[in-house]
Amino acid sequence: MGVRDSHGEATATPDPVEKGFATLNTIRIGVKAMVQKDGELRKAEILSIRQRKDGPSFYVHYVDFNKRLDEWIDSTRIDLSHEVEWPQPEKPEKKKAGPGNKAPSKNAQKRARAGSREVSATPDLLTGKNTNIGKAQRPSKAGGKENRDETPANLSVLDSEAISADVTPKPEMEDVDMIGVSFTDTKEEHEQGKMSREEEIERLRTSGSMTQNPTEIHRVRNLNRLQMGKFDIEPWYFSPYPASFSDVDMVYIDEFCLSYFDNKRAFERHRSKCTLVHPPGNEIYRDDRISFFEVDGRRQRTWCRNLCLLSKLFLDHKTLYYDVDPFLFYCMATRDETGCHLVGYFSKEKDSAEGYNLACILTLPQYQRLGYGRLLIAFSYELSKREGKLGSPEKPLSDLGLLSYRQYWRETLVELLIEPGRESMSENELAVLTSMTEKDVHETLVVFNMLRYHKGNWVIVLTDQVVEQHNKRLEKEKIKGSRKIDPARLQWKPPVFTASSRTWNW
Amino acid sequence: MGRTRPKKLTSKASIPVVREHDIDAIEEEVQNALQQIETGVEKAEESEFHLQAAINASAQGKVNEAHIPTPETVLSSLRYDELYPPIFSQPATYIRFSSTVEDCCGCPYNMTEEDDVFLKIMNEKRDAADRCTEDQFEEVMHFFEETAQTKQPFAAVDNPPVLSFTEIQDAMDAAVEESVKRFAKDVYEHWKSRRTETGNRSLMPSLKFETGQETDDTDPYVCFRRREVRQIRKTRGRDAQSADKLRRLRKELEDARQLVALVRQRELARKEMLAIERQVFLQRSEVKEMKRKLNLKDDDEDLINQKPKKKPTEAPAVQRPVAPQLRMPPKAGTQAAEDLQLLEDVQAEKENEILRDINQNIAKHIKWNEGYVDFTRAPLSPSPERTFQAAFRPAITAQLPTPPSSDSSENMMDTTLDNPSTLSLRDKLAPQTMVMSDDTSRMPSFRRRIGRGGRLFIDRRNLVSRCRVELDPWKADRFKYDQEDSDEELDFERDQFDIHIMQHRAIMMAKARDQAAAAAQAQAQAQRRLQADQTANNPGQTMGSNPGPGAIAPTPET
Ligand SMILES: [Zn+2]
Repeated sequence: MGVRDSHGEATATPDPVEKGFATLNTIRIGVKAMVQKDGELRKAEILSIRQRKDGPSFYVHYVDFNKRLDEWIDSTRIDLSHEVEWPQPEKPEKKKAGPGNKAPSKNAQKRARAGSREVSATPDLLTGKNTNIGKAQRPSKAGGKENRDETPANLSVLDSEAISADVTPKPEMEDVDMIGVSFTDTKEEHEQGKMSREEEIERLRTSGSMTQNPTEIHRVRNLNRLQMGKFDIEPWYFSPYPASFSDVDMVYIDEFCLSYFDNKRAFERHRSKCTLVHPPGNEIYRDDRISFFEVDGRRQRTWCRNLCLLSKLFLDHKTLYYDVDPFLFYCMATRDETGCHLVGYFSKEKDSAEGYNLACILTLPQYQRLGYGRLLIAFSYELSKREGKLGSPEKPLSDLGLLSYRQYWRETLVELLIEPGRESMSENELAVLTSMTEKDVHETLVVFNMLRYHKGNWVIVLTDQVVEQHNKRLEKEKIKGSRKIDPARLQWKPPVFTASSRTWNW
Repeated sequence: MGRTRPKKLTSKASIPVVREHDIDAIEEEVQNALQQIETGVEKAEESEFHLQAAINASAQGKVNEAHIPTPETVLSSLRYDELYPPIFSQPATYIRFSSTVEDCCGCPYNMTEEDDVFLKIMNEKRDAADRCTEDQFEEVMHFFEETAQTKQPFAAVDNPPVLSFTEIQDAMDAAVEESVKRFAKDVYEHWKSRRTETGNRSLMPSLKFETGQETDDTDPYVCFRRREVRQIRKTRGRDAQSADKLRRLRKELEDARQLVALVRQRELARKEMLAIERQVFLQRSEVKEMKRKLNLKDDDEDLINQKPKKKPTEAPAVQRPVAPQLRMPPKAGTQAAEDLQLLEDVQAEKENEILRDINQNIAKHIKWNEGYVDFTRAPLSPSPERTFQAAFRPAITAQLPTPPSSDSSENMMDTTLDNPSTLSLRDKLAPQTMVMSDDTSRMPSFRRRIGRGGRLFIDRRNLVSRCRVELDPWKADRFKYDQEDSDEELDFERDQFDIHIMQHRAIMMAKARDQAAAAAQAQAQAQRRLQADQTANNPGQTMGSNPGPGAIAPTPET
């Protein structure tokens, strides 16, 4: 099962799951119920509840579905004719490690609220000026401990509430954040080899990583809808845009400078003043369809921050914990008479100790499934070739990232192996020719069942399947034209950063 | 089971490439063992339904079924063409660009509907001529926001009251735009009420950055923290090096500070001088007034500072045959700053020394040659001082044909600092002079003499009334210290100078040509009439005074 943050614990004391029938009034956060999804019933965890004029609305995470499919549903979609799984009661020893007396008391209060959904039960300190229970509650329902079915030790309200507490956007809550609780909690969870938060932050600090531990990212989506360019887009994940943005129905993003607005009139005013028409960097590649721009995180801090905020909406594992300075952003754009429209990008550490040639990669949702992702990946390897290095993307990959990479790797290797007259090749040769790491070459061959042990010798088998796929691709390219990066059009030298610029962050 | 373990595969090992039909059976257990490949996806996500389906589909070659559902994207109802005008034209070469978002977005404050309503009401109360535009309104609001940010940087933490108007007024210095000052009062109440509504938070939505509080760490909205500087290995040598660098840096900064302080001092002195000069002038006008009352005959002499400006740097003894360029009446572009005069002194002194040496050598040479006849082809060239010193020089010598390129303006300071560049500047100008003036005798000319006590005289010849005396050292001196105050000013000076000089040249050339043509015509006619049967004796002379036939007559100034 999709045990996100507790797979290590799955082996620990498995308490029996408490089941029973629930009513709309007894459903609370952490409950797993059967929910109608695309014509079938799926188990889903309630992550948040908000009151509306026409009844309560529930934010649910479908077990074993990606978080991007989490959504707000109304009560009619919850099938109460099935038993629900109740969240586990809180474990008393966790309280001990709490940050003081404040935390448990707040949790108690919050638990009361969660159970009864009683507006008045919410302490003033939590809601502050904002007496709208919907607003006050929504962000605090990050819960995030979905996929809890096998991990009863964590199925406590305290647990999910504790995590949620630090998610709240209300400034009044800052000072009562549940650092201690979530902290200890995390530590306990990570006893079996997972990173603690401190370790996590240390890793971020020293490695220049752009991804982070899943405990950080369990959040309820904070933006409702996005307007950008010609499209309306649904955000997939949480992104730390200004907290007040979760109150509006639509957030407007300027397609060129990527500035964000929660007000249409302000956005229009901005558009009348904004003169940017392409990513603010140097164009390093241009062909008939696309251009690539290299944007330095330190020189273009605002733009790169805007880009990161935007892409966080679609990348679950991206972290914005640290600033954008140590990265270069390679932005792909299509051109028309209004400008160069950002289609996707990847970021790359100026100096990757681990030899990564790519940190984060994203094709904007409005341009997905058009082959751009493959171009982005190809471009990242083209840069590595220019650098004379072998490279690999930083892990973890997203599900979409994995599929894209595997496809690219397979196609790239098959293309080389199928060349006429090719009788044998070492993995190292393949790596050097593609700038892929030997590990990626090897694993790709294995995954696609191309590396086999035959009569006492290793052989690379061009299976009928990969050959067929290769031919199909050639045919498709014949009709649609091939989408490739032409190295001759790349005007780029690997940028050099002096020791002092790295040391001083200049 | 129980078969031999496969050979170890190294990355350098060449592996035969075969097609599937080339081999027969697959050795299952080995294959199974190989399948344990990490996906690189987060463990918890690896098992997700759609990902697994997609992996399986692609493993079976059904790439089209390898599909992970994502929330849908739809076309927006917003009018794209209204928001994004077609203003982009692709340059032929790859774009190079370094402006930032801030550079490209104008005023950071953007009006909302609420502001619209307020502005409309506010403008209704005003005259049509004195209305506040949307841009001006935004500037005002932005100024308020900025001032609040500077004065209450921790507003999010300690919740101070909204900034009062007096406090805002305090922040209005000279740099604040006039329109902002004009509308500030009217807009203030509106701003205040909006700030109050939001609990004195910024009206422009902003990200949450580090506040230094402990809560930062767990607040998911806090983003883009500063990454600590990478640790460098510490060694004693490195420490010493750094300390040295820091010390040097500090010294340089101190020098710069000193320089600024001195400039300030100088400017204060100058201000004082101006005040005194004004005083003098006022008193002189009183004298003039008095004279008028007493019916004394009078021109404006009394109003002018009669005192000739002495040039302390000019050493009267200097007789420079090769360096008159250095002592050309200072042009606006090559002014020395006051603090640079010391250098000039030094340079003059050095030159004197050299000249003295040369003179001595000449004397020695003459002495040495006494009683001998020198048959060398070009005997020691005579010192040109006599012929040169007394010569008038045409005024156009110093003219620049076009405004100088911008990069030379950066080097302005340098031109006074080192002689070679002054010389080379003149060298550059020299050919221009040749081309422009076939006959310089009719051009306005200047001669500089040095009189007793080092007094400097400028003799002028062929001066046209219109001609501005750009080269008058007295006037030029007036601007002497304005040059390095700021680069903008500098450019402005030069531009003006160049325009005038061009205008001046145009007039000069037109005049010279007209005069020459008229003279030639008159002469030719006279000659023709008086000596009709004779050919002109001296047509070359007449022709010689004509400017080139190809010259385009400049239009007189308007
Ligand atoms: Zn913009």
